[in-house]
Amino acid sequence: MASISLSRAQAELASAPLTGSVWLEGWAGSGKTSVGVQRILYLMERGIPAESILLFVPQRSLAQPYIRAMRGQRAHRGGQVYVHTMGSLSLKMVETFWFLVAERAGFRYPRDLPNFLSLEMVQYHMARAIEPIVAERDYFNSVRINRPRLYSQIVDNMNKAAIVGFPIDEIGSRLTSALAGGVEQAHIYGDAQTCALEFRRYCLAHNLLDFSLQLEVFRDHIWATPQARTFLRGRCKHLIVDNVEEDNPASHWLLLDLLETSDSALIIYDRDAGFRRFLGADPTAARRLRERCETKATLEGSLVMGGEVQALSGRLAAQLGPSVARANTADPRPALITEAHRFHPQMLDWVAANVDELVNARGVSPTDIVILAPFLSDALRFSLADGLARRGLPLRSHRPSRALRDEAAARALLTLARLAHPHWGLPPTNFDVVCALTTSIAGLDLTRAQLLAEMLYRNGCLLPFAEVRSSAMQDRVTFELGERYDRLAGWISRYVDGERADAIDIFFRRLFGALLSRAGYGFHADVDAANTAQNLVDSARNFRWSLDYMSRYDDDIDLGLDYVNMVDRGVIANFYARDWISDAEEGLLIAPAYTFLLSNRPVDYQFWLNIGSEGWSRRLYQPLTHPYVLSRGWQAGAVWTDEDERELNRQSLRRLLLALTRRCRKGVYLGYSELSESGYEQRGLLLETIQSLLRRLAQEGQDV
Amino acid sequence: MSLSDDFAFTQGSLADYADCARRFELRYIMRMRYPAFESLDPLQFEARLRQGARFHKLAQQHLLGVPAELLSRSLADDEELARWWANYLAHGLTNLPAQRHSEITLQTQLGGHRLVAKYDLLALEPGGEAVIVDWKTGARVPSQSQLRGRMQTTVYRYVLSRAGAHLYGGASIPPERIRMDYVFVAQAGQRLSLDYSAAQMRADEAFLSEMIAEIEGAHDFPLTDDERRCRFCSYRSLCDRGEPGSLEDFDFDEMEDGDDDVFAVDFDQIAETEF
Repeated sequence: MASISLSRAQAELASAPLTGSVWLEGWAGSGKTSVGVQRILYLMERGIPAESILLFVPQRSLAQPYIRAMRGQRAHRGGQVYVHTMGSLSLKMVETFWFLVAERAGFRYPRDLPNFLSLEMVQYHMARAIEPIVAERDYFNSVRINRPRLYSQIVDNMNKAAIVGFPIDEIGSRLTSALAGGVEQAHIYGDAQTCALEFRRYCLAHNLLDFSLQLEVFRDHIWATPQARTFLRGRCKHLIVDNVEEDNPASHWLLLDLLETSDSALIIYDRDAGFRRFLGADPTAARRLRERCETKATLEGSLVMGGEVQALSGRLAAQLGPSVARANTADPRPALITEAHRFHPQMLDWVAANVDELVNARGVSPTDIVILAPFLSDALRFSLADGLARRGLPLRSHRPSRALRDEAAARALLTLARLAHPHWGLPPTNFDVVCALTTSIAGLDLTRAQLLAEMLYRNGCLLPFAEVRSSAMQDRVTFELGERYDRLAGWISRYVDGERADAIDIFFRRLFGALLSRAGYGFHADVDAANTAQNLVDSARNFRWSLDYMSRYDDDIDLGLDYVNMVDRGVIANFYARDWISDAEEGLLIAPAYTFLLSNRPVDYQFWLNIGSEGWSRRLYQPLTHPYVLSRGWQAGAVWTDEDERELNRQSLRRLLLALTRRCRKGVYLGYSELSESGYEQRGLLLETIQSLLRRLAQEGQDV
Repeated sequence: MSLSDDFAFTQGSLADYADCARRFELRYIMRMRYPAFESLDPLQFEARLRQGARFHKLAQQHLLGVPAELLSRSLADDEELARWWANYLAHGLTNLPAQRHSEITLQTQLGGHRLVAKYDLLALEPGGEAVIVDWKTGARVPSQSQLRGRMQTTVYRYVLSRAGAHLYGGASIPPERIRMDYVFVAQAGQRLSLDYSAAQMRADEAFLSEMIAEIEGAHDFPLTDDERRCRFCSYRSLCDRGEPGSLEDFDFDEMEDGDDDVFAVDFDQIAETEF
């Protein structure tokens, strides 16, 4: 068997008999995933057909250690291990067996194909379905969040109903019954209920499937067909399930069923976790699977944390709740490095200097360092990247929700699309034109692009370079760049004059192939720009395909205009996380804390930024939904109180601190400034917890 | 050469290399995606590809137990697809062994790398025949010798002979028992069958090993001298190789050959809101 070094206990679990089910739990860093990885390799080595193995995870990033290991098995001869989330599996099943169930599931056009909606397309269709009602009835007028976030919470409610298994017409009553008071909030929940029902009617009438409907069709209809059950049960003779505590009750339901017919199963549960609760993770419900497993095993301790970090982990958790660790007498203070600063930029400088020292003076690999914050704003990302770049430190950041429109190459294409479609009535701003010219024309710097825009951008059109009358200005721009500019302006002008009406993705491709990818232009031989352009094309094409289906039932759509409008509003092209899988693990990672956790990768050193921020402990502001009230374990008739909220914050922070420290080998740097990024004083629960711990440690030191 | 350690060769990547080493470098080493047009009429090109994909999906649904009459009812909007479907039903599954595996992917090792093949359908009988069935929706039926020369034929038969034992009762499949059937559903379901042999398998192994070694040892990835190969290549503008080709000249059957990595993850973004 290959290559992973395992303890005896781990090795025994990995090479358990080929029949029987095992429940394995333990801390993060106790070696559970290594057991899971080795178990798959063992099964394959013992001749189990790879295509009879299902690896099931709550989120795709969590499958990475398995995929890497399987791809490393070059000598393997045979088939393919199936790797799925509940989302991908239910989609595949509904797509395959659609025609068996479409009619009885209530779709108006059961002989037509289903149209599965990505998250961005859900938001688009949600807007079309409910905006008339929202406007007419003045819904949500007291809610101060933008429309995309508002819609996403309606979607979230529907997803929770599907995941937990209650009808969507109970969303409003469940939320309202838990209110401690507030008529206005009850109205908001009632409006959210109406919108959910309206969106569901719209989906059924147009053969659209958002995640909630996809899941309901899978569970209530597809799974009832013998063909689907035979197929999936035949494919799932051996189950490997990791991070089951991060999965939702619908996944647990399916796994309970598959356990009945599988030959073997290994189900891995991370103690003190369940970070995706607001996505429906239910660690309590996950434990139902434990009862069905024949063998219950635990891996104790940590293979990751050094003694001081382990002591720190236990002491931090003890500040917020019951003690979790065996007594660890080590002094945690050497693992906790901090320095107080008055201003936020000083703190960032301190972070960069310490990273520099770790990498260049102490030889720590940048891949063994992670910089974490509760949220990663553009400003924070830029400031850090700049500070680290000045020290020559390689950097990568991962922010899954970074919008495609924030990439320079995508913005340039969108701006050029506006110039080429004057009938949209959306002329780009001068600033956007400057940026688009800089990105599109190789060698054109910002200053000269500004000159060009000032002289030649008039009434939504780019005038020819010959319109620059001053020879001094011509010289300053240079004729070479002027010629490149002319070719671009001319291309757009000809497109406008030709009254061509390309689909928007085709427009992007035409412009890319005809000009921008050619020598002398900004996308030529630029891998990142080309990939961004391809992502934008993919997004626009998916939009078109989705609406192609719709055009059978509803022809009131202007594709290009709608696409650009939705991108501007942050609805479309907002969720392109394509780089996750291929994310090169080179360089220092900057990420939101929870994103790092779900990459499931330990590091030597962690930097926690903005430790005064409430964001470390407080859940997101979600006025239209409530992850706990809509969870499986919520007792009907119970009321959610302020005390519940405070206790939730404490427990969330406790779990987060345990999870972070259990993924840390050597030390934690705390980035603290009295004033936040926005200039406000900060007194969040994490700061209080750390100050309290430091005081206690100082006291203990004196007592000794 | 800097292919990642876990790189898997497929018939598609090997055919790309055979066509143009530079294309291979851009696509598989630099991993550059390039959204330029493949052909003069991109919408028609796309529609044709989607039609082919839909046919493959129909066949898969049918093989997994969805009744043919239900699937037939869904084709009212596409006469051409309905015709392909009728040809499939009439001729697609004749004279095939009983054990069927649709859309299955196999891998073996060659030259220290993984070699992967994704099959439309494998029909086998342990101890008996092992038939690779590949649906083709193209407008032309190539000659037997042209099919024999295709990278797909070489890779698919070789990989099945090396990696199909678990589907064949645990015993290696003798090359003489392997047959590859190309079924041209747009051409009245015409079937062209290619047998296999131990000698051919050894020849294929030598050919593929040599090619993989050449790629592995390559420092330069030159652009092809044959500019006809650039007509339907999306990197054409990068290499300054003229304008896209006309759709009539394109062989869609070469695009239909699945290329999935054996451990590729077929994830979607639905319900994957992350933090």
